[in-house]
Amino acid sequence: MKMKNKASNSILRAGAVWTVLIAGIAAAFLAAVVIGSSRITLGEVFSVFNGTAENKVRVIVTQLRLPRAILSLIVGACLSAAGALLQAVMKNPLADPGSIGVSAGASTAAITVLLLFPNLSYSVPLFAFGGAALACVLIYLMAWKDGVDPVRIILSGVAVNSVLGGYNSFLQLQNSDNLQGVLAFMNGSFAGATWQNVRIMGLYAAIGMVMVVLCIKSANALQLGDEMAKNLGVRVNLSRIALSAVAAFLSAATVSQIGMIGFVGLVAPHIARMLSGSDYKVMVPTAILTGSLTVLLADTVGRSVLPGTEIPVGVMMSVFGGPFFLYMLRKRGNFHGA
Amino acid sequence: MELKAENLEIGYGDKVIVNGFSMNIERGKITTIIGPNGSGKSTVLKAVTRLIKYQGGVVYLNGREISEMKPKELARTLGVLPQIHSAPSDFRVRELVSYGRMPHQKPFSKKSEEDERIIRWAMTETGTWQLRDKSIYEISGGETQRVWIATVLAQKPEMLFLDEPTTYLDISHQLETMQLVKKLNKETGIGVVMVLHDLTQALEVSDHIIVIKDGKKYSEGVPEEVITEKMMREVYNVDCDIIKIAGRDKPLIAYKQIGA
Repeated sequence: MKMKNKASNSILRAGAVWTVLIAGIAAAFLAAVVIGSSRITLGEVFSVFNGTAENKVRVIVTQLRLPRAILSLIVGACLSAAGALLQAVMKNPLADPGSIGVSAGASTAAITVLLLFPNLSYSVPLFAFGGAALACVLIYLMAWKDGVDPVRIILSGVAVNSVLGGYNSFLQLQNSDNLQGVLAFMNGSFAGATWQNVRIMGLYAAIGMVMVVLCIKSANALQLGDEMAKNLGVRVNLSRIALSAVAAFLSAATVSQIGMIGFVGLVAPHIARMLSGSDYKVMVPTAILTGSLTVLLADTVGRSVLPGTEIPVGVMMSVFGGPFFLYMLRKRGNFHGA
Repeated sequence: MELKAENLEIGYGDKVIVNGFSMNIERGKITTIIGPNGSGKSTVLKAVTRLIKYQGGVVYLNGREISEMKPKELARTLGVLPQIHSAPSDFRVRELVSYGRMPHQKPFSKKSEEDERIIRWAMTETGTWQLRDKSIYEISGGETQRVWIATVLAQKPEMLFLDEPTTYLDISHQLETMQLVKKLNKETGIGVVMVLHDLTQALEVSDHIIVIKDGKKYSEGVPEEVITEKMMREVYNVDCDIIKIAGRDKPLIAYKQIGA
């Protein structure tokens, strides 16, 4: 009987955490629609939906703020799911999409196109996605030796990131008077988010999330150590590659659409672990909600805190994500499991 | 269940660790592999359970080559407790043990009534049922080892492989673990293959002992025949007396006095 109680307690607890997060997202979403350079009242927001709003308000709400807020939620969800999977792959709390070359690969491709082939600028998302995937494959090929070992993935990631980073710096130095587009890409931003972005990102996310669900059991088993996972009938190498591929897909998709945003993939799974424990069945949904909320808040604050200027969400995440991460590191002292 | 390894060659990279090794494991027995550090005893255990690859030879499980079995199928027949394992500290004991059911579950299936019954059985057998709601962070080293054995037992394997199950435990927890192994073997008839460092314990619990030296089999047989003063000298480079004591089933190993 006692056991039954405990079991239902943990379900209750997960339910409570999710309810609070969803309520937080709803509140932040409303705030994101209301807050901005031109302030819109709640009443005006509702007038948009019953068709009585004046044109200016209607355009701001439906064409600017709604797509932007929805895109932030989707991007936050994708990045945090990717981060959660990579932490299981690497058994390392510092793993994030950057460590498997997604950011470096995407920016190498994007910078090359923007600076050397500016006439192809409109297809930067495509190139960025391809670059991210290519860098990721390269890292895994170099890490492969009778299987993929987390330490070798991390080390070959460092190597590839360093080479690509050097190339990127060189290209930027050579074209230092023409960096507007590059800078925008490097500091991911939702400025100019459109329904078209939402549709594309939504499609990526839908495909990616189905794959995430398929990954949960093996992610859980990997937490028990490679040999234990093998003993349980899990194909460890195949799982590592599949989980990494899903994470790469999700993060490459976001990078290609809105540029680079750091720290979400790192911080959201950590908060989720603290809130919901390490069982991926519960932890991944919590991470997704946490990530969505974080990115939406970061973007809303970033575009409203300094009058007349916008701080890109990528910058916001780096500035606040770093210290927050340190705080958690100090507070928890050590990391278990992942 | 019967496990048969023939002419195994196992190595990492260019380094050959085990060479020309064969063994036969009979059903329902406790078989212990002993040998000095680096002799290849854990390597053999890992190879015959397919945790690592072997470069040459064959391993048959119930007449089938293990390299041709599906991972899940193998996991339903062999349960291996590796030396290195970990679990997130917030996992509850019962949650961890339920992972033992993975090889029996379909990708999306939930725990069935049968799974629940077997999890409870495995925990009762290992005396961990009363710990079920504790997080694995809260329990002692000996209890942790019993919980891991319960996890592997929940796989319902025909044979249990334990890689140095007592290495990181203090003496009372070592004996507790050995008692459990003996009890499981006796009560459930499950076969056990383990790697041990402690020769006195190997003498006490084993039906059959295999001695490995430099990646080759040195000798095998019933404990008293295998653990001899000559073997101790040739394999471990240690002088000792093997003493029979009245009132004790098994002999004791008295090592040459240190510094004498």
